[in-house]
Amino acid sequence: MEESSSSMCNFSVLESMNEKSIGEMEDSWNAFCLATEALHGADGDLSFASDFVAHVRVLCSLGLESLIVEHFLCSMEETFEKNGASKFWKHFDAYTNPAVLEMDDADQQQELQDVLHRALEELSSDKQYQEKCLLMLVHALDMCRQIKSKEQTYSDAERNHLFSKYQLTVFSVLMASLPRHFPDVLQWYFKGRLEELSAMMATNCENENGLQENDGMDLDYKGREMDIDETHHQIANLGNNKLIRNIGVVVRDLRNLGFTSMAEDAYASAIFLLLKAKVHELAGDEFRFSVLESIKGWIQAVPLQFLHALLAYLGDSKSNESPASGQKSPLASHPSSRYYRTGTPPEGLVRWQLRLEYFAYETLQDLRIAKLFEIIVDYPDSSPAIEDLKQCLEYTGQHTKLVDSFIAALKYRLLTAGASTTDILHQYVSTIKALRTIDPAGVFLEAVGEPIREYLRGRKDTIKCIVTMLTDGAGGNPSGPGNTGDSLLEELNRDEENQENSSLDDDVNTDDKQTWINAQNWEPDPVEADPLKGGRHRRKVDILAMIVGIIGSKDQLVNEYRVMLAEKLLNKSDYDIDSEIRTLELLKIHFGESSMQKCEIMLNDLIDSKRTNTNIKATIKQQSQPVPDIGDEGLSLEDLNATIISSNFWPPIQDEPLNIPGAVDQLLSDYANKFNEIKTPRKLLWKKNLGTVKLELQFEDRTLQFSVTPLHASIISQFQDQTSWTSKDLAAAVGVPVDILNRRIYFWINKGILAESVQDSGDHKFTLVDVLVEDGRTGVNNGGCEELLARDEDGESSVASVEDQLRKEMTVYESTKIVMKKQILQKFITGMLTNFGSMALDRIHNTLKMFCIGDPPYDKSLQQLQSFLGGLVAEERLELRDGMYFLKK
Amino acid sequence: MATVNNHHQDSNPNTNTAAPVTSAKQTVTVAKTVDTQSVLKRLQSELMALMMSGEAGISAFPEEDNIFNWKGTICGIKDTVFEGMEYKLSLSFPCDYPFKAPKVKFETSCFHPNVDVHGNICLDILQDKWSSAYDVRTILLSIQSLLGEPNISSPLNTQAASLWTNPEEYRKMVEKLYKPSA
Repeated sequence: MEESSSSMCNFSVLESMNEKSIGEMEDSWNAFCLATEALHGADGDLSFASDFVAHVRVLCSLGLESLIVEHFLCSMEETFEKNGASKFWKHFDAYTNPAVLEMDDADQQQELQDVLHRALEELSSDKQYQEKCLLMLVHALDMCRQIKSKEQTYSDAERNHLFSKYQLTVFSVLMASLPRHFPDVLQWYFKGRLEELSAMMATNCENENGLQENDGMDLDYKGREMDIDETHHQIANLGNNKLIRNIGVVVRDLRNLGFTSMAEDAYASAIFLLLKAKVHELAGDEFRFSVLESIKGWIQAVPLQFLHALLAYLGDSKSNESPASGQKSPLASHPSSRYYRTGTPPEGLVRWQLRLEYFAYETLQDLRIAKLFEIIVDYPDSSPAIEDLKQCLEYTGQHTKLVDSFIAALKYRLLTAGASTTDILHQYVSTIKALRTIDPAGVFLEAVGEPIREYLRGRKDTIKCIVTMLTDGAGGNPSGPGNTGDSLLEELNRDEENQENSSLDDDVNTDDKQTWINAQNWEPDPVEADPLKGGRHRRKVDILAMIVGIIGSKDQLVNEYRVMLAEKLLNKSDYDIDSEIRTLELLKIHFGESSMQKCEIMLNDLIDSKRTNTNIKATIKQQSQPVPDIGDEGLSLEDLNATIISSNFWPPIQDEPLNIPGAVDQLLSDYANKFNEIKTPRKLLWKKNLGTVKLELQFEDRTLQFSVTPLHASIISQFQDQTSWTSKDLAAAVGVPVDILNRRIYFWINKGILAESVQDSGDHKFTLVDVLVEDGRTGVNNGGCEELLARDEDGESSVASVEDQLRKEMTVYESTKIVMKKQILQKFITGMLTNFGSMALDRIHNTLKMFCIGDPPYDKSLQQLQSFLGGLVAEERLELRDGMYFLKK
Repeated sequence: MATVNNHHQDSNPNTNTAAPVTSAKQTVTVAKTVDTQSVLKRLQSELMALMMSGEAGISAFPEEDNIFNWKGTICGIKDTVFEGMEYKLSLSFPCDYPFKAPKVKFETSCFHPNVDVHGNICLDILQDKWSSAYDVRTILLSIQSLLGEPNISSPLNTQAASLWTNPEEYRKMVEKLYKPSA
C-alpha cells in the first residue's frame, strides 16, 4: 500500500480505520490520482476541477493532506518536465551551433526573436496553468480546513511555501536540462534588441532635440539625479514602444522561470558589448574632439533609458509575479514599483549608471592609451583626446597602464634607427606637454621620458638638433607644419615668465599666511612616484630643463650653440642680428649670463664690425675724391663688408688657404690698412675662405647673379681670362688641393656654367659654357637672379664642429690614460723588484693584483703582463734570467 | 753640532707635513680603535703615492701576502760615506697604524752610529716623536738622511760614532761590512 510509506502522523489515522474505510480511502485516492493526471494533462481545460476538488475533500477529511500536496507537486513536476521543458528547449535546437548566432542576419534575428517569444509564451502559459491548478488545490485544502474548524485556514505562509516550492521545482527542471548555448542565445537576443533600440533612439533623439531643444529634453548628464518629468516623458514614449514591451515580456518570463541572473547577465553583457562598440565608434581614430561627453550622453540616452524602461515595466508587472522569483545578484537592479510615486531614481539604476560609466571610461582609456603615440604625434590638435584621457585616468586610476604601454610604443615606434633625431625631440616635447596635462606633478613623465632621454643620449646629433630647435624659428621656417623650432623658442619665452613667477614663489620671506595656504594646498604624490627621484619641487615640469637633462650639462649645449651661432653669424652678409640677440637674451636667462658670455662677445663683434665697417667707408669716402677708382673692374671698397671677430672667443675657425683674384686681394689689404689706421695697433687677418661673394656673370646673351663662397667665386673668376682649365692647373691657380677643387667645381657644372670633360691623361678639363643650353637642368632663367648659398653642399662648415673638437680632445685624453696606466704599472714593477730583487712572472702578477688597485686597477691577464714585461726587457729596463725578472742595473 | 744635526733630521720630513701634525695628534686620542679596513686603505694609498712619487734612492713594497710587512730599499746619498750602497729594510706596521709608528729595521748590516748590529735603528720619529702625519716615504727619507747625518750624542754603535770624524776610515769600514742581500 502506498500509505505505508507516508509520514508518521498518518499511522494514528490508519490504526483507527476499519477495512471498509480503507477500501473507501483507496478508491478515493485512486480517483484523486486520476483527477490530478487529468487536470495536468488537460492543457487549460478546467472541466475536471469540480471532480478534483471533491476527491481532495474526501482525502483531506481522512487526514491525507500532506500526501495530497506531495503527490500533486510530483505529478506537476513530471508533467512540466515532459511537456513544458523539453518542448521549450526544442525551440532552440537550431541554435546549437554558435556560428549561427554570430551571423549578422536580420532575418535570422527576427526568427530568433520570434522563436524566443513563442517559446517563452508557451512555457509561461504552461506554467500559469499549473499555477492555477496549484491555486485550485490550495483553495480545496482551504475549504477542507474551514469545514474542519472555523478558525483554521490555509495560511499565507503555507501558501507561499507551496508556491516557492513549485517555483524551485520549475527552475531546477529547467536548469537540469539547460542546453549550453542558451545563455549565448539570450545574449544575442538582447544585443539585437539593444542595437535596434539604439538606432531607434538615435532617430528619436534627433527628432526630439530638433523639435524641443529648450523643452528640458536634453538630459542633465552631470548630475546623477534625473528629472522626473523628463523621464516620465521618455517612458511614455518608450511605454508605447513595442520593442521595450517585448523585451520586458521576455525578461519577465525569464524571471518567472527563475532565470533572473541569467537574463541579467545576458542583457548586461549585451549592454557592455554595445557600449564598447559605441565607444570605439565614437572615439575611433579621431583625436580632435572630446568624445567623453557624447559617450556619457549616449549612456544616458540608450542603455540607461532601456534599463529604466525595463525596470519600470518589471516594476509594474511585479504584482503579477510570484513572490519569490529566485535569488538576485547583489549588483542587480531591484525593481521597485514604488519609485514611480517617490520620484527618486531607483538605486539599481544609479548603480547601473556608475557601472556603465566606469566601463566607458575604462574602454576609452584603453583605446586612448593604445593610441597615445599617435595622439601625441598630433599633439596640439589632439589635446581634446588628452583631456579625455586625463578624465578617464582620474576615474580609473590606471596610470601605470599608460606608462607601460606608452613606453612600449615608444620603443617600438620612435626609438629606432629610422627615426630622425628632430622627430624624436619633437615627440619628446609633445610628450612633455601632453603628459603635463594629464599629470601636473610630472611623475609619469619622469618614467616615460627616461627611455627617450636614454636613447637620445646615444645619438650624436642630439645636441645639434636641440640647438637648432632652440634657435631657429624666429627666423622662421614656415615650411614645416610642425614648426618644431617655434615650439622650443616659445618655451624659452614662456620660461621667462615662469622664472619671474617662481622667484616670487621661492621668496623665503613670504608671509605666514601664504605659507599656510601653500601647506593647505599640499597634495601627496601619486603612489607611483619614485621616492628616490626627489620631491615635487624638483619635478616641476620645465621643458627646457628636461631637454638639457638629455645632454647632461648645459655646457655642451652652450658650446654647440656657440658653434652654430658662429656659423650663422659668419654667413650673414648684412649685420642684422636682432633675432640672434633676442635668442641670446632668452638663453641668458635660462643658462646664466656667464656661460653665454662668449656668445655675447660674438654678437658684439658683429655690432662692432658694422660700426667699424661704416667708419672705414666714411674715411675712404673723404679721401677717395682724388683717387676715384681704387680697384679695377669697378671694384671699390664700397662693395666690401667685413665681419671682424675676436677669434679668441669664437670657436676654432677652419682655415683653408685660397688664392683670390688679385684685384680682390688688393681690396682686402686696402681695407686692412684702413682698419690699422683707425684701430692701431690692431690689425686685420683675413680668413679668405670665409664669407659670401655676390657676383654677376655676364655672358653674351645673359647675365647671372650668384651668392657663393669665396672658393666658388675664385674658381669661376679664373675662367674670366682663360675659358678652359685642366683640374690640376686650376687647383694650382686657386691654391687648393685638386680633390677639393673637383668637389667644389660641381656647383658651377650643375649650374651649367662650366662643362667637364675627361682627357686622355685622366685629368679633368673644365670649359666655360658660353651659350646656355636650355635643357631644363639648370633651371636658371635668362637674366634671372639666382640667390643661392652654395656653402654647405658637402656638409662642410666654416667652423670646426663641437664633435671634431671633442674627438681631438678625447684622443689625447685616451692616449694619456693608456700611457698613465703603463707608467703606473711600470712603477709598481720597478718598486717591487727594487725591494725583492728578483721575481717570477706569476709572483709579479699576484702582487700587482693585490696591491695595484688604484684609479685604473690592474686588469691584465698573465699573458698580457708577460708581453708587457717582455717590452720592458726589450727596453733594457728589466732582465729575464731563469724565469726570474731583475731590474737592469 | 750634534743637536743641530738632530734638529735638521727632524725638520726634514716635517717641512711638507707641518700643518697636519697638530690636527692628527688630536685624532690620536679620539680614534684609538681603528678598524683594519682603514689601515689597509691607508697603506694602500701610501703605496700608490710612493710608487707615483718615483723618488730616487728610496723604495718600499709590501710583501706578497701581507700588506703590514714591507720591504724597503735605501740608497746612500751621494757625497756621503754611504754613497753607492744599497740597504734593505723591513717595515712592519702595527694594527693601529698610523697612530703607532711602524717597526723599522735594517736587513742589510749597516755600519752607522745609530744602528746596532741587529739592524735596530735609533731615530726619534720612530719612537717618541712619532706622528700619524709621517708615512712610509717620510720614514725612508728620514732614515736616508740619518745615514749621512748621524746623531753622535746617543750612539748605538760606539765604534761607528768614534770613527765618524774620519770619513776615509769610515768608508773602508762601510765597504768591509757591506753585504748586499741576494
